[in-house]
Amino acid sequence: MAEHVLDVSELEPPEPLVRTLEAAEALAPGDYLRMLHRRDPCLLPDNLRSRGFCFQQRPGVRTAVEVFIWREGDALGEQAARQACDGP
Amino acid sequence: MNTARLSLSQTPPLTVPAPYLLAAPWFVVAAGLWLAVAPDAFADRWSSVLLGVTHLITLGFLAMAMLGAFQQLLPVLLGVPLGRPRALAWSVFLPLALGTLLLATGLGLAQKGLLLGALGLLGAALGVFLWRGGRALLRAPTVPGTTPAMRAALLALAVTITLGLHLAGGHAGGSVARQLTDVHLAWGLVGWVVLLVAGVAYQVVPMFQITPEYPRALMRWLVPVLLGALVSWSVARALIPAWAAAPAWLAALALVAFAVITLRLQMRRRRSLPDVTVEFWRLGMLCLLGAVALWLARPWIVGYDVLVGVLFVAGFAMSVVSGMLYKILPFLVWLHLNNRLHEHPPGQRGRIPTMKQIIGEASARRQYRAHALAVALLCAASVWPVVVRPAGLALALSGVLLGVNLADAIGVYRRTRAGTHPVPLG
Repeated sequence: MAEHVLDVSELEPPEPLVRTLEAAEALAPGDYLRMLHRRDPCLLPDNLRSRGFCFQQRPGVRTAVEVFIWREGDALGEQAARQACDGP
Repeated sequence: MNTARLSLSQTPPLTVPAPYLLAAPWFVVAAGLWLAVAPDAFADRWSSVLLGVTHLITLGFLAMAMLGAFQQLLPVLLGVPLGRPRALAWSVFLPLALGTLLLATGLGLAQKGLLLGALGLLGAALGVFLWRGGRALLRAPTVPGTTPAMRAALLALAVTITLGLHLAGGHAGGSVARQLTDVHLAWGLVGWVVLLVAGVAYQVVPMFQITPEYPRALMRWLVPVLLGALVSWSVARALIPAWAAAPAWLAALALVAFAVITLRLQMRRRRSLPDVTVEFWRLGMLCLLGAVALWLARPWIVGYDVLVGVLFVAGFAMSVVSGMLYKILPFLVWLHLNNRLHEHPPGQRGRIPTMKQIIGEASARRQYRAHALAVALLCAASVWPVVVRPAGLALALSGVLLGVNLADAIGVYRRTRAGTHPVPLG
């Protein structure tokens, strides 16, 4: 169970989306991805859903937005991502 | 930054903006070639060739590109779909293209029949666009800065068209209300062009050039200040001309604020990677400042009206719109290819070209140099008319290079869809 952090806040569209999807595809069971971005990633939700990922988004600390991503049906990954998202 | 949520299924097909974006540069080529064979074009601001060339650029290039991009950006930036987008696109594109050609040649050759044809076609094209675009914008969510600016831009376009049709009718009927020309110009350039550019800039500059966001105060006040200044300036000119100076200065200050803030944001980019679109925007903002300064100096420096127009139209508007096209079109190509990936099952989805593979930086930079040369020569020609011929040729060259670059982007889309692009899909 591990957190993978991906900061895309200094990338030009569509690189944040491309890098995030690549990182999500590489997630091992129980892992989740914490994506840091400077703005609302408006294309990300549909792309994640269509690829079988779930996510939760919140205002970030270091960047404007943080998105927590895990594989659909991965209970451990979901639990860890939600704990991280609801935490500080 | 607030943007409306984009549903991939709401993205209009690429065939909606493609005809506009592919056709727009060739009106620049036509304008350049016309200048190259008309050495007296810049003799004074009322020359018939200059009127024709100006409308080839403002309607054929600027409005063509802006209307095409608008029909894509409305769903993408604001999340408002336009019903039956293909039918709307073609019902505006065809009369706009044909009407622009008729208007330009009608003005340039003083042919009343052509002008009457242009009146009907342009009235129909822009009327349909205003009706459909305006209705969509009324139900759009309020994205701070962008939605009010787009609404105000459409209002300014409506005023511009109304005055323009009246003026063209005057040309066709033999009696032109020249006192309305400056009002038509102001609503078209300061209203429609600046407000739409600003509304899109609030999203596109921070997003693609990776700058800080525009200040909230600018996004809040630019629209009411510019609209208020345009209305009061127009009314004052008609009733009490001595009172027109104050709103003119107010509008000038608003334009200076927009240009200076944009330049400052670009100086604070998070990553200073080479990006030709930043240079297009920098040139555009510097030309806008130059145009405003020269316009404000009119009471003391006379005889530079054509230079003000060149700086504003070719230097500011064409630069900024070209810079936007180099971001918007590759992104739309990428977006549509990415959307098509969803049609493949996971595991069978391949790679799609990057933005830089869709339009190469070197090709865009080559066109930027030709454009900057054209702007410099056009400025020179407005002072020394003997330079008109090389200025026209440089403008035509810039248009050809832009047209080829944009067509290449559509070519990458088609080849990738067909599976023949070097970067395989699926």
